Parts: sequence; structure tokens; C-alpha cells
Amino acid sequence: MRPGRRLFDALPAWLDSHRDAARRSLGRRLQAPVLSLITIAVLGFILALPAYLWVLLDNARALSAHVDHDPRIALYLDHVDEETADRLQDALDDDERVARWERIDADTALTAYRDSLPDPELLDWLEDNPLPDVIDVVPASTQPDTVAALRDDLRALAPDAGVVADDEWVRQLNSLHELGLRILSVVVALLGLGAVLILALATASELRERQEEIAISRISGATHRFLRRPSLYGGVLTGFGGGIFSVILLLVGVALSREPLTEAAAAFDLEFTLRLPHAGDILGLILVGLILGWLGARLGSGHALRDAP
Amino acid sequence: MIQLQRVTKRFGSAADALSNVSLRVDAGAMAFVTGPSGAGKSTLLRLIAGLERPTRGRIRVNGHELDRLSARAIPRFRRSIGLVFQDHRLLFDRPVFDNVALPLEILAYRRPEMRKRVRAALDKVGLLHKETVNPRTLSAGEQQRVGIARAIVHRPVLLLADEPTGNLDPALSEEILALFDDFNRVGMTALVASHDLELIGRMGKPVLHLENGRIEARGGASA
Repeated sequence: MRPGRRLFDALPAWLDSHRDAARRSLGRRLQAPVLSLITIAVLGFILALPAYLWVLLDNARALSAHVDHDPRIALYLDHVDEETADRLQDALDDDERVARWERIDADTALTAYRDSLPDPELLDWLEDNPLPDVIDVVPASTQPDTVAALRDDLRALAPDAGVVADDEWVRQLNSLHELGLRILSVVVALLGLGAVLILALATASELRERQEEIAISRISGATHRFLRRPSLYGGVLTGFGGGIFSVILLLVGVALSREPLTEAAAAFDLEFTLRLPHAGDILGLILVGLILGWLGARLGSGHALRDAP
Repeated sequence: MIQLQRVTKRFGSAADALSNVSLRVDAGAMAFVTGPSGAGKSTLLRLIAGLERPTRGRIRVNGHELDRLSARAIPRFRRSIGLVFQDHRLLFDRPVFDNVALPLEILAYRRPEMRKRVRAALDKVGLLHKETVNPRTLSAGEQQRVGIARAIVHRPVLLLADEPTGNLDPALSEEILALFDDFNRVGMTALVASHDLELIGRMGKPVLHLENGRIEARGGASA
């Protein structure tokens, strides 16, 4: 900027200079399209893998949330004396956390079981009814923590009863999901770092090709910032391209795995359709591409310009 | 404009490229530096352009103490000078116009003003009709003139030229030096390194003779 010029005059020139840098950067990419496309493809692949894993995890979480399921607590009374059972039933009547409960005696349970069998005579060889009396409790809340607290209280009330809450698998699924997210964040961090380094390398080698231009510009009074500008635009362009490419890969991947996953879920009696990523997810992915592209270019240009003559 | 006080420059453990050199070029003056190759002419010009830092001594150019100039202040200082090289150092990936426009781009000139100035500079060196061609297709003399247009397009206060006629035949050399004389007439201070003693003699300007990094002889008043 020439001294004495006002900001008002300088702003359009500054914008011109940015436009030139962006245009030149685009031009350079179009001059070597194969190399640019390879860089974009590498970034696309790097972004698509964790994005695909994330979609799977997100769907798994949606699955555990959407399974329409009232948690229940079963109290098995086989080792419980009648006095304790009564106390337990009074407590259940009074507890606001309990929506309803029902005592199923052993004979009723066996009859129901017998009726459900295709060959009921099978059970005739049993001398005694092996089933215990059971109290089936439906908690008022489906919150895992509330259900767990109620379960623990009931356990304290009747230490001899077998108390089993059937929300265990939801908890297990949730903790698996947590674990998945942790693993994913490590994968994201490592791949992101790898992407930044690859882009830094590409930027540095591009700057090496511009060595003479940089030397002449330096002699003419170019600042570091001026020299770096086209590289930063280049990084953002590559990042944008990589982001778009990764979105395409992701959509193709989701589309291809939709049917097999639905079939696999059906084998477990689950109704499940892999949902497509939201617009927000897609924009986020492109934004991540842009940021990685910028970071790589910043790192690579900083390094190369420091070493340049 | 240029003032050196007992300046020494040494590269690594080699002998001094410049040894205890003092000189002064006033604003608006034009002077020549002569001497055989390896005498230190290029080193002297690079020191004055702020491309090298002196090992010892003080350099003052256009009001800047170069030996103390911070790295951040160097780009601004360099924008006030123009440099011409023996090998032109043109960029062959862009046309003549863009080569000449480079310093204006760095100075963030707007397009219309940039076009005006580049055309004026090319016109001055007689190459206005070549603005769209690639410099690779030009003759050595034409390439040198493009390099000169690039050096003066931003109207620097000081023009430094390192063997600008080194690769040219006598007629072309005379033409180039006449150009420098023109620039000097309109107020640009000029310091030209050359070994073409005969040609320099005819210009009637102050001459510094360098030998083995030392000033061996001075001719003229202001040098």
C-alpha cells in the first residue's frame, strides 16, 4: 500500500489484489488439472471415510433412541418370603416412579408358556413348576438413570429377589455408541492431520515451482502475506473440491450400503433404514474440507517461503 | 541518496567480497561501478538494494539505515528502488504486460492506473506493441528492455542496474545506457555496474572502480 492513501481508496485495490490472487490460483490449477484432481481426490477419500463411519454411528444412535420400548423391571420372587413380597408390593403402590405393576404367579406363567409352545405336552414330564412368581414393573419414566435408581431401590428392599431391568441392552448400545464416537474422533484427528500434511506438501512443491516469481516479487518489495495469498486461495479451492468429492463418495457409499444394512437388521428382527446425511452434515463436511485446505496451505506456504531465497 | 561507510561483506569463511568500502551517491545523480568479474560489483548493488546485509559498516539508502532495517520494514524499502539484472529475470509463464505490472501488483494499484503505467513504461523502452507476447519470443535486447520497464514502472527514486548491457552488442548497449540517462534526467538516481569501460567513458558520469572488493579508483565529483 502506498503511504498516505486512505483506507477508502485502498480497499478496492486490496479487493482487486485478492481477486487476482484467487484467479491466478485457479488458473494455475487449471493448467495442471491432473495434479490438482489427484490432490482433491486424496482429500475427498480422507474426508469420506470418517464421514461414512459417522453416518453409521449416527444411525445406530437413532436406532437405539427410536426403538419404541418401555423399560421394565422384573422381580423374581423364588427366594422371597411372602412378608417381603407384601412389603415390596406396598412400596410399589406408593412409589411415584412406578407407572403400574402386576404380579404374575408361577402357575399363570407356566400356563401362558405352555400355550405358547407348539407342543405343550413337552412340559408334562416336569414334576414341579420351575418358574418363580414374578412382579412385572413398568416404570413411569423411560430415562435409563431413573430406571436404574428404581431398580437399585427395589433391590435394597428385597435383597433376596432377583431384580432385572431389561434396559440393559439400550445401555450397552449407548456405551458402544460412545466408544464408537471416541474411536471416530481419534480417526478424524489422525486423518485430518495427515490431510493437512499432504496439502502442505502440495503447497510447498507448488511454491518451489514459483521460486523465480517469488524471488522477483521479493526484490520488488512483496511481503510474506502477498506471496502467500495465492497459495491460501489454492488451499481453499482444493479443500472445497475435496469436500464436494467426499460428499459424492459419502452419498454413493450410503446408497450402496442401504439395502444390505436393512436386510441385516431384518435378520435381527429390527426395522432399520440407513438415513441419508442431512444438508447440515453435508455443509459441515465441505466446511471441514475448506478448513483443512486452508490449514495445509498455511503450513506449507509458511514453511516454503521461510526457506525461499 | 546512497551512503556507505566502511562497509565489509564476507560470505562464510571466504575472502571479503567487499572490504572497507565507503562511497556516496547524491540524490538525482548517476554513477557507474566498474571492475572485472568477481570484483564485488554485484555484492555492492545487492547490499544497496537490501538483498544482503553488511558484515560490518553502515549503509544508508534513501533515508533508511539498511544495516538496522527490521525484516518487516524491508519490503517497503524495496518498493522505493528498481533493479535491473544482467539476465533480465523475466517470468516466462506470463506475457510482457504482466511481467512489467508485477511491482504495481505488489503496490496494490488498481487496474486502470496499472494499465496506464505499464503502457507508459513499455512505451518508454519502445515495446508498447509487444505487451501481449510472451517474453520468451523476444530478442535479448528486447528482454532487457522489458526488465528495465519492470524496474521503472513504479517510478522508484533509485535505479540499480547490474551489468544491464552484459549480453548485448555495442549498439544495443548504448541504447540501454541512453535510457538510463533519460531516467536520470527526470530525477531518478541511478547506479549502474558495468565492465564496458569505453561506453562508460563516453557517458561522462562519475565512475567507481572496484578491484578485489576494494575501491581502487574514483573518477568524477559525486562518487
